[in-house]
Amino acid sequence: MPQRAPVADYLDALTRELSFDRPLAHRVRHEVEDHLWEATAADGDASIEAQARAVRSFGEAREIAGQYAALSLLRQARRSGAIIVLASGALYIAMRGRVAWYGLMQWALSDTLQPVGKVVLAIDRTAYLLAFLRGSLGWAYISSRRVSPRFHAGCRAQLRRGLLLAIAAACPMVVSVIADAVVTALRPLEERPHVSVFLIPLLSIAIEVAFAAVLVIAIGKTLRNTRRASSLLPS
Amino acid sequence: MTPSIARDNVRAMEGEMLKGHLDLIVLAALSRGPAHGYAVIQEIQRRSGGAFVLPEGTIYPALHRLEEAGLLGSHWTTADSGRQRRVYALTKRGTRALADQRAI
Repeated sequence: MPQRAPVADYLDALTRELSFDRPLAHRVRHEVEDHLWEATAADGDASIEAQARAVRSFGEAREIAGQYAALSLLRQARRSGAIIVLASGALYIAMRGRVAWYGLMQWALSDTLQPVGKVVLAIDRTAYLLAFLRGSLGWAYISSRRVSPRFHAGCRAQLRRGLLLAIAAACPMVVSVIADAVVTALRPLEERPHVSVFLIPLLSIAIEVAFAAVLVIAIGKTLRNTRRASSLLPS
Repeated sequence: MTPSIARDNVRAMEGEMLKGHLDLIVLAALSRGPAHGYAVIQEIQRRSGGAFVLPEGTIYPALHRLEEAGLLGSHWTTADSGRQRRVYALTKRGTRALADQRAI
């Protein structure tokens, strides 16, 4: 088997350890590659031994990757927090747009369906308010955390709290979107309006579902990456 | 305690102090002008007289952290070798932070 170069092996190992943040892994790989080849050149030659010395001086890939984990995880948690706040805004605009459209079309719920509509709307409003308050709190909390050079128990606890708040906001947000979809579906049940009239409410629900989906995906990704990175951190 | 042992103890203490102040040391190293990671390490080793004994790779997370905090900016260039090189520079905030720390 041909001998692999220490620099190439090290770069592959570092990229693997940084799998919790692929864009970061890509950037770090290029930076470290430049560093290692410059260190090797300063040593006089590009021999296997010179490369091995450069890699040894650089440090263990796992340890270096662990030092990036705190920064990366905090950045990802902050991004999830920002998405929650954006999604809340988008949901609110979509809801108001739909209500304004119903007013314009003079399209009210029938007397039969009004009691059902009232219950679903009450659930919708409560869920939305919960999502907005928890999301804002979570975003404010995680945005105020400073990145520590060393990832310790306190940092891990802060990240956990931030993610829990994000999940606590996402759940009622999904309930709110489902409630909106139910209320929107109730209207055409009896009247069967022309499709052009129903297009606006349908579009607004599609926007709400899209934002909720983006949020759930972002939080899921952050949770998965946190799990991947946690193995790198000192216990 | 012999003079050589005392000298070794002082160097070990200086090394530990350097570890605790890595961010400030990195800012100071960039005060002369923009530089890439390897050049920053060379500058730190020059200024510390060899007392900097951390793995060289620890510089890069520090550089990223300082950039995230808005104290450094960076951009890609192409080195003479043709390799991609990331160059870091102090931002106005970074220059102010360094000056404040030096004043203390």
